[in-house]
Amino acid sequence: MLKSLASDQWNYSMAAHLLNRAGFGGTPADVKKLADLGLDGAVDYLVDYDKVPDPTPDPDWAKPEPDRMKHLAEVYRTGTPEEKRQLQQETQRLERQRITELRGWWLQRMAYGPRPLQEKMALFWHGHFATSVEKVRDPYYMWRQNDIFRRQATGNWMLLLLEAGKDPAMLVWLDQAQSRKEHPNENFAREVMEIFTLGEGHYTEHDITEAARALTGWSLDRQQQSYIYRPFIHDNGEKTIFGQTGNFDGDDFIGLLVAQPQAARFITAKLWNYFSGSEPSPELNEALAADFRANNHNFKPFLKTMFRSREFYSPEIVRNQVKSPVQWLVGSVRMLETELPPPLVCWGVTRQLGQDLFAPPNVKGWDGGVTWITTNTLLTRYNDAQSLVEGTLPPLTAGDMAGKGAGNGQRALNAMQHLRVGGVSLEKILSPEDRDDNRSIIASLENRLFQTDLKKDQQEDLQAFLDSKTKMSDADILTAIRLMMSTPEYQVT
Amino acid sequence: MKNEITLQTRREFLRRTVLGSALSWTVPAFLADTFSALHAEAAGSAIQTVTGKDSTILVVLQMAGGNDGINTVVPYANDYYHQARPKLGLKAADVLKLNDEIGLHGALTGFKGLYDAGQLSVVQGVGYPNPNRSHFRSTEIWQTASDADRVEKNGWLGRYFDNACPGADPAVGVTIGSQLPEAFFAEKPKGVCFNNPQNYRFIANGDATAEYKKLNELETSGPGLASDANSPDMQNSGGSIGMLPAGMPMTGGRAIDFISRTAFDAQHSSDEIRGIAARVQNQAEYPNSPLAGSLKLVAKLIGGGLPTRVYYVSQGGYDTHTNQLATQQRLLQDLGDSMKAFVEDMKAQGNMQRVLVMTFSEFGRRVAENANGGTDHGAAAPMFIVGDKVQAGLLGKYPGLAPQDLFQGDVKFNVDFRSVYAGVLEDWLKTKSAPILGKQFAPLRVV
Repeated sequence: MLKSLASDQWNYSMAAHLLNRAGFGGTPADVKKLADLGLDGAVDYLVDYDKVPDPTPDPDWAKPEPDRMKHLAEVYRTGTPEEKRQLQQETQRLERQRITELRGWWLQRMAYGPRPLQEKMALFWHGHFATSVEKVRDPYYMWRQNDIFRRQATGNWMLLLLEAGKDPAMLVWLDQAQSRKEHPNENFAREVMEIFTLGEGHYTEHDITEAARALTGWSLDRQQQSYIYRPFIHDNGEKTIFGQTGNFDGDDFIGLLVAQPQAARFITAKLWNYFSGSEPSPELNEALAADFRANNHNFKPFLKTMFRSREFYSPEIVRNQVKSPVQWLVGSVRMLETELPPPLVCWGVTRQLGQDLFAPPNVKGWDGGVTWITTNTLLTRYNDAQSLVEGTLPPLTAGDMAGKGAGNGQRALNAMQHLRVGGVSLEKILSPEDRDDNRSIIASLENRLFQTDLKKDQQEDLQAFLDSKTKMSDADILTAIRLMMSTPEYQVT
Repeated sequence: MKNEITLQTRREFLRRTVLGSALSWTVPAFLADTFSALHAEAAGSAIQTVTGKDSTILVVLQMAGGNDGINTVVPYANDYYHQARPKLGLKAADVLKLNDEIGLHGALTGFKGLYDAGQLSVVQGVGYPNPNRSHFRSTEIWQTASDADRVEKNGWLGRYFDNACPGADPAVGVTIGSQLPEAFFAEKPKGVCFNNPQNYRFIANGDATAEYKKLNELETSGPGLASDANSPDMQNSGGSIGMLPAGMPMTGGRAIDFISRTAFDAQHSSDEIRGIAARVQNQAEYPNSPLAGSLKLVAKLIGGGLPTRVYYVSQGGYDTHTNQLATQQRLLQDLGDSMKAFVEDMKAQGNMQRVLVMTFSEFGRRVAENANGGTDHGAAAPMFIVGDKVQAGLLGKYPGLAPQDLFQGDVKFNVDFRSVYAGVLEDWLKTKSAPILGKQFAPLRVV
């Protein structure tokens, strides 16, 4: 298992598949560049992304604000009810503004950044550790967690777990910040085993209780907005976890977790499912886990094995994964060579489609696959396609925002009505030669949007549509693009 | 009989019948039901084929924000009440008396009428152990019917759809709003959502819509398909010709096949919903509010024969930390009047005996008023149930308001909301509640 794809099987179509899965897809030029590198070259180029510089700045507020925290604490302690209410309103407004900005910032990185796999992995970790701003509240914490997922995206499993576990967002999200030796909080201990590393059935309730004891001490300094270890609340006694006994602390516990054979199986299965769109067979899972262990639980070499394997390029996998809402949006603007809509609009779109960044529905994240597709989300994709192509506001988002009547949202919405938000420029995506002939228009668009041929009668329908226009305008071609995006074929990657 | 089928397009499937012979377009209505039943049998789950005309309908009305139950169902003669609420306390003259101790908020004239007519249940003191006072988390608890310390992925209605409606139309659940509530989240997602029927469709200029349908083989005009929705056969089955059980397993099927099916379902339900909304008239005077607008739409869809089992509507604004008197006056007036109109409309249609309305809110509010003319997040609160056959009157117990009866300043619950759900599931939707709620809750008899 996991033998490399034969070099005579590597071609433009396989390169497109790799770029779609290891990144967010791209233009024909992007795909060609990758294809020309050969399988190994392409995989190395995508996985060894540290070689590619990334100068993108972080949001300017993405840092601790001890003075603001101090002010907040003071007012809550000694302020009048009126002062408290006003400060709370201001804080909520600031939080809303910043989280919207953060969503836009991340989508921009995904759509135009130089390291597609790093962002695709950051998105994986975000879904995996499924932490929501609805409880965490502080946009700086959400940025900080996102930054960990980016920096440690393809590092070492144990190191990532330690960083993510000791991070403010997680300490708040799973209540570890409130855990103390007199009354350990089991939430993080349970979820880290059940959902992050092993899966149900591979630990006992006793393991959870003991792990919770070991983890005491991991805490949050709210004024400094950072992790702090508090030795006085740490349970210093002996614990027995996974049948081993010792005076374990949180770090030891994470070490014990990763050493479990199931740990390698669990995370490699999840990664395989994320990138391939299907659950691995038990056999394949064992092979993936073995490779991961052989590489000391480091993700880079494992990902290379995965992206080189012939299994990854099998017909059951190619073009058989439903695009997540983020993949749909980001992939579309990349293929259409158009701008992302403004952050507020993007937020509406991804939320309507079921993937609200920084606000996964619960600890279990997003199921993905066909669950992205319902009658509503499918129609929404088809209608939002029109907005992307023509540069208008998606009708549902507009209605949604107007309904809220929230000050900022409404004002922004009114302002945006008068702007052309992106929209496709045909000169960018159709050469003058292609533009001349209806047949080549369709063929060129087909190649760009699907990297494969549509069904014959679909091609004929689209052909006939264009042929029927006595005076074909740009608008007609844009409609054809919109129609192509309104097919089941466009929803898979 | 084969119960796993791969298929390329819906149309190709229709051409290959169960019986193996070439097919004309008019597939007998019973066949659609047979499929549902077969599939359900195969799946081993409780069969509940959606049958349209005679099935019962549940309307869930979310009062979003945490409605203050204590000023809605008012203990107007209680000293502790007045002590705790010098400004917000309602006097005997302000309320619509139900008995010597309890009255409804004065604005709920609509509810009082229903109460007098034996069509309103007031379930007092509803909540759950370890109450959570976060909007986000407590709403999630009500939507998923989970214990307070567990996180459930799917909603209680979603689990109802999964368990009891395997062969159902995608519009088995309808939400009037901008997104499906968590209550509808399911293993096999079902339910449609729209604010306005005109939004729930492929929106396009010019001839693009026709082209879209051609491209995706979505013609739904033609004998035997959606345009026959009103034929006698179709009336009886309530299902739609060619509407495959949504839970059909996808052996060897590709994602594209699932998406094609969904596109077909979307086109069909979209046509049906817009057709009904245009055709059916409301037969009562509704107030002019978003809630009333939602209920008007629900009334039309019921009147038009949409095979929906659960409708979900929402009224927001109940988070009254400040200015509670004015806000509740406005919201409760709207609630009562909208409900009154909806019931009249259902009666005029001859459908009221099939309909049950249930309200809920994510929590009640604190007994003591705050310093800003409002109240803060609390715990237990009343639920309202409206229907022809309800257990009319006051159910449960009014929670004690004396300091020793409170928990952290909040009233204690005496009815677990899961019991109310269990009653609705068993008595009204006629399905076992334990598989849906995760365990057996003693059902509160609702009808």
